[in-house]
Amino acid sequence: MDAKDILGLPKNSFPTAQEKKPRPSKDSQRKPDGVSREVYALIGGMAPLMPSIEVSHLKKRPNSEKEKITWQWLPFTSSARTDSLQLYHWVRVVNGVPPTGDYSFAKYNKSVDVLRYTDEEYEKHLIDPMWSKEETDQLFDLCERFDLRFIVIADRFPSSRSVEELKSRYYSVTRSLLIARAPSASDVSGHPLVKEPYNMVHEIERKCALSAVLSQTKQQERRDAEILAEAKRIMESRMASKSAEDAEMPLNPTGNETEKATAPAESVSPSTNIHPSSSTAAPATATTESASTPASLRMLRVYLRTHVLDQMVQAASSTAGLRTIKRVDQTLQDLGVHVKPKVPTKAVCAEHLELRKEILTLLNLQKQLQNKEAEASANRDSSYAEAPSTPKRTYRGDVDRAFVPDSVGFGGERVGKRDHKRKASGRFIDAPPSPPQSKRPRKLKASD
Amino acid sequence: MYGGDEVSAIVIDLGSHTCKAGYAGEDAPKAVFPSVVGSIDHIEANNDVKSEKESESASDSKNGVKPLDSDKPKAKRKLYVGSQALGYRRDHMEVISPIKDGVVVDWDIVDNIWDHAFRERLLIDPKEHPMLLAEPSCNTPQQRERAAELMFENYKVPALFLAKNAVLTSFASGRATSLVVDSGGGSTTVTAVHDGYVLQKAAAKSPIGGEFLTECMMKSLESKGIVLKPRYSFKRREIRSGEFQTIDLDFPNTTESYKLYSQRVIASDVKECVCRVPDTAFDETAYANVPMTSYELPDGQTIEIGADRFKIPDVLFNPSLAQMILGMESFADSAAPVRGLPQMVIESINKCDVDIRRELFSSILLAGGTASMQQLKERLEKELMEEAPQAARVKVLASGNSIERRFSVWIGGSILASLGSFQQMWFSKAEYEEHGVSYIQRKCP
Repeated sequence: MDAKDILGLPKNSFPTAQEKKPRPSKDSQRKPDGVSREVYALIGGMAPLMPSIEVSHLKKRPNSEKEKITWQWLPFTSSARTDSLQLYHWVRVVNGVPPTGDYSFAKYNKSVDVLRYTDEEYEKHLIDPMWSKEETDQLFDLCERFDLRFIVIADRFPSSRSVEELKSRYYSVTRSLLIARAPSASDVSGHPLVKEPYNMVHEIERKCALSAVLSQTKQQERRDAEILAEAKRIMESRMASKSAEDAEMPLNPTGNETEKATAPAESVSPSTNIHPSSSTAAPATATTESASTPASLRMLRVYLRTHVLDQMVQAASSTAGLRTIKRVDQTLQDLGVHVKPKVPTKAVCAEHLELRKEILTLLNLQKQLQNKEAEASANRDSSYAEAPSTPKRTYRGDVDRAFVPDSVGFGGERVGKRDHKRKASGRFIDAPPSPPQSKRPRKLKASD
Repeated sequence: MYGGDEVSAIVIDLGSHTCKAGYAGEDAPKAVFPSVVGSIDHIEANNDVKSEKESESASDSKNGVKPLDSDKPKAKRKLYVGSQALGYRRDHMEVISPIKDGVVVDWDIVDNIWDHAFRERLLIDPKEHPMLLAEPSCNTPQQRERAAELMFENYKVPALFLAKNAVLTSFASGRATSLVVDSGGGSTTVTAVHDGYVLQKAAAKSPIGGEFLTECMMKSLESKGIVLKPRYSFKRREIRSGEFQTIDLDFPNTTESYKLYSQRVIASDVKECVCRVPDTAFDETAYANVPMTSYELPDGQTIEIGADRFKIPDVLFNPSLAQMILGMESFADSAAPVRGLPQMVIESINKCDVDIRRELFSSILLAGGTASMQQLKERLEKELMEEAPQAARVKVLASGNSIERRFSVWIGGSILASLGSFQQMWFSKAEYEEHGVSYIQRKCP
């Protein structure tokens, strides 16, 4: 505006309307009085970045004038102590009145109440040939001192008695005392010690077993594991050779039993339970070429050969997909062979099976050949395929899904070629989208 | 928190190498100083009778034999306690230790050490504070009674408690049951603690400790021709900026024990800086070409240490290695066959009841100055996993902070003495007067 004055130009009318608008907005913006206009303009006319602290939001000072609290160093006594020792500690004194009551930690002074016997009671009920009175007295004294921690008691006991002996003596004495002191038998029959007396023999056996488990060092464990693995291998090789002998006849259950009989005889390790189950599982899963008899067949004594053939065919083609099976059938038809043999004798069925297997092999080899050819062509085309990578990358996300719509067939093909290259060179790199990619070239070639 | 209630107790841990003292409730001791003292024997000529007695006992003391009974006339000697007093060289000052093989042999020195701790380091009046003393796990009843007597008669403390080192270490890590491997200055002890009580029949002890390793280091350096000059025997003068010239000083009246002591200080510093526990058992040929580390001695000469870095800490695991160091052959003649650390641990655990063995295996604690050596925890864990049964899970625990490992006994005492539920367990003066000193066996299990 000043410049226009200097130049002598007339002031425009149209900014005046605008001047009025920013001015009221500027006035409304200039809320904080403590900030000058220039500073406010400098910071961009925005609210302050840090919120101001509202006094009302802060915590009130607690207990301002109600009570007067001081902390004093005062002596105290504890009911847990038998003497009158006075120790000092800091005490929260309210209004000049120190707190009353016992020491707050005295309530934690708990101990086990051990029954003590008198001499007559000892003479009447508690005499034992293995234990003298002094020893029993010492035992009970230690029990009281150490609150029935038998391991520590056994450690401090003057003569060396085992933990089980000490426990047995203590529990039997207490039990006899309970029964003797009770007015009638029914009163104490609910007491756990009367219901289940301490069984020393059982405890000793348990500890022996535990120490046997714990004393097996690592070397022994390793040796055991090695022996187990060795035995398993022997079993499996035996299974394989055995099932190779009886090729198409289903093994009768007696065969299984003989396997089971041999298994325990062979296994050296103590855990024979694992073995028979693993040995029976092994033959079930053994899939040798000549002996792919499913386990279910072995159970049958009488069967239809067509039924058997179906089962065999299914077993043989279980590794291939649905598409492959269809292709095998297609090939059979092309060759003029019936999908199911008209006269299913043993020889015919065997030949049929062989034929099917050979077709399967042929198809697999064809597929692999196609893959290799595609790779080779992709390597040749690699110089052409240096298109910008980023859009293709994003495309790849779609390619990962099961079906790519045909409308992007062309781009898809390019992507496919690029994938070949990726597959060829990046076979050793962890390329995430590998399974769907392997399907893609096949689809392309199948449409040829 | 854990039910704390401070009664301003004092915790003292008198070890064979250092003495730690401080207030309960704190996380580190305020006063840490060596537990050896310097002593100069004065032979005074006041009374004839007295001087005769003194000269007799003075000659006794020169032979290094100290009378146990405090009734006999002692040598009138001046004791210098504390690192400051010890650091200053004085004529005819002998360095003596009150503790031999974990047992206190000279109660007068112990008295002086406690006095120094209370009046000069902590600046307290012992009459006003209950005392918690840490004692070795295999302490005899006579020693405990003696300690209690000394405390009550000389210092008139209001209350006292004697706690075993292993229990305190266990409490410092928050456990009531554990196997404590305490590798300190004078010895290494492996003790099992169950429910807060030491299982005495399952303790294993070995004389190999930090001092022994320092001795090995010294002999090894000497055999290589390196002379450790004690700090008092030279002075360095700056000729040009950055360059120093070492001038030897001669003090003919310095005692042999003081010279050895000063050399040991230097050797133990070398050991602490440079030594590391090897990952596998030490083998002469394997470590022959290991790169050397250099260390600068106080007098300016730089030494190179190679295989010794690993050989010396391996003595803990394989004590027979010590015989291969020149000058240490006499070690084999000492009484009991010495076992390595993993064997001691396994032996100790096997002596315990079967039920707690698993728990002990999974909570093995390392404590003591020597335990802060690098890689000790990993090596011990590895060795134990080989020997231990499959069913037990071996876990060696050591606090990451080396200060905490050194002072874990003291820290456990600090925790214990400031617990609210501990205040009923003190052995008070009234009880001492009523039942006599043998009551302490009952009160402090």
